[in-house]
Amino acid sequence: MIWTYDGSFEGFLTSLHRSYIYKYIPEKLTMDSAGLTLLDEREIIETDFETAAKVSKSINERFPKKILERIFHVFLCDDMPFELDLLLYLRMGFKDLSLIHDLSHPVVYAVEGYQKRLLTTIHKMYAFTRFEMLDDGMLYAKIAPPRNVLPLIGKHFVKRLKSEHFIIHDIKRGLICVWDGQNLQLHPILEASEPTLHEDEKHFQKLWKTFFDTVAIESRKNYKVQRNFVPLLYRELMSEFKS
Amino acid sequence: MTVEEKLAILTDSAKYDVSCSSSGSTRTQDFGGIGSTHASGICHAFSADGRCISLLKILFTNHCIYDCVYCVNRISNDRQRAAFSPKEVADLTVNFYKRNYIEGLFLSSGIIGSEDHTMELILKSLKILRYEHGFNGYVHVKLIPGASEYLIRAVTALADRVSSNIELPSQKSLALLAPDKTKEKLFQPLHIVKNDALTQGKKVMGMSTQMIIGASPESDYEILKLSDTFYNKSLLKRVYFSAYIPTTTHKHLPALNTPPPLLREHRLYQADWLMRFYGFAFDEIASEKNPFLDERFDPKLAWALRSLHHFPVEINRADRETLLRVPGLGVRSVNKILRARRQKLLLARDLDTMKISLKRARYFITAGGSPIDQTELRYERLESKMLALEMPKPGTQPSLFDIIQSTTGEL
Repeated sequence: MIWTYDGSFEGFLTSLHRSYIYKYIPEKLTMDSAGLTLLDEREIIETDFETAAKVSKSINERFPKKILERIFHVFLCDDMPFELDLLLYLRMGFKDLSLIHDLSHPVVYAVEGYQKRLLTTIHKMYAFTRFEMLDDGMLYAKIAPPRNVLPLIGKHFVKRLKSEHFIIHDIKRGLICVWDGQNLQLHPILEASEPTLHEDEKHFQKLWKTFFDTVAIESRKNYKVQRNFVPLLYRELMSEFKS
Repeated sequence: MTVEEKLAILTDSAKYDVSCSSSGSTRTQDFGGIGSTHASGICHAFSADGRCISLLKILFTNHCIYDCVYCVNRISNDRQRAAFSPKEVADLTVNFYKRNYIEGLFLSSGIIGSEDHTMELILKSLKILRYEHGFNGYVHVKLIPGASEYLIRAVTALADRVSSNIELPSQKSLALLAPDKTKEKLFQPLHIVKNDALTQGKKVMGMSTQMIIGASPESDYEILKLSDTFYNKSLLKRVYFSAYIPTTTHKHLPALNTPPPLLREHRLYQADWLMRFYGFAFDEIASEKNPFLDERFDPKLAWALRSLHHFPVEINRADRETLLRVPGLGVRSVNKILRARRQKLLLARDLDTMKISLKRARYFITAGGSPIDQTELRYERLESKMLALEMPKPGTQPSLFDIIQSTTGEL
């Protein structure tokens, strides 16, 4: 049986609860019904907020902070089918906390793997996010990360740019992270018009491009290594890779 | 000359300096404005040669009064010269930082006028950056050997890291190729910084140096021995190696068409890692009898092949240091093993679940008492197997570059 849910955390917690009630582990738990055929047996799990709140409470009581953080991180891996692994992981933890420390268990290894990939993406966005200065002095960056890291990267940029105002815009998910000098907020955004750049902006992008091109040593050219470190998917929004 | 033209010239002149590390700053002073440092360092871009770009790495000027024969900026070289103003350096740094291009500034310089004059210009750049812009990002300065002590102190106080390049691995080569420099003079700034910290009871700032590989005849053994001395005296935290790229014709230098010894440089970095993170002594890696590293194998594998009596090791019992010496097991794999074996006895399939590569390690370990590979632990048997692993897969272009990874800024 394949279970589908609405993709929300509450929906996921409802599914976890169902698996206890039904004493059943589905073959797959997914928000995406696109890949399913008529032959697949499936059940739609309707999100139940009351149940979700109860499950959430018991998860918070049961697991140490580090694991709670891991659950949150895995849930942001919206490009990977993590749901069934995470469900099994939580069930293992409820049964016996020590089980989820066994890295050689496939479920534990998989769940820690999702988290690791999320953390790698966070680090990549610390590195590859590129701000442009707008006409009013605001810094604006477009990102399109493979996983949903925007909720986690804002603080880092507040630390470096606390005296500035900035917006980071995840154009893939329609989310923005705004720092106005005092508060950091995350909002969904439907449409955004192309903002007007500061008159100096192109000048600094050109200087950066000059630096970027000049610093490479001709006799050591190695595009393969470069591509390992900066995969193509990030380059579209990095001005130095535009010709 | 426009800032852009200056930037092109002064980046081009600075690019042979290898260091780009922005990690490990322990500064607590806050200059009140923009920026912070990140403990593990961040590589913001990777240039076409695959090297990490973490800092705005520039020379203040490429004018120079010295005539070091290996250096592109030597006085006798006919070359376009430029110099920034301190304000230009500070403005570029802050504007690049705001856009998240860089972690900070790496400022080095040729000698313009005199050592003190050059150092004063660097100090002025730092003062504008720190006090006028309140810049809290990372700043690394190459100190100018021969500058006055008070200037060295003033610059160090505003920097996160300082360094001075030893340039060549022996006094003799220095005398031959850099007649204006001696080892004492090159290290004078570092000794001042270290002694100051010690007399004030403060932690010594992590300092680094760089030496050019392949411009002079020193062996790998001599180079590693020298690095070891620096680490032991805790004068330095990091030694960088830079494969010599011929830019000039000179009777004491390799010919212009000599390719840079990239593989040798790579092996030296691997050896350096073994010394700093894997508990190897320099004379386990190279010796007077075998002064050059085997270029066919990484130095850990080469050591293991010479020391087969240490193997096989049992992954459920061996301590951390012993596991780290197994070819093919790195720090991450060893950490996984140490963690998982607390829960249960590990068998070969558990290593598989944890995606620990056994390509090389399989010959050197046992899991739960049983060997993973039946090949006899004899040099003649293992050598060919290991060589086969180094061979590129069929269908791919074999190239020297395939095995050379860029050296990133982790300290």
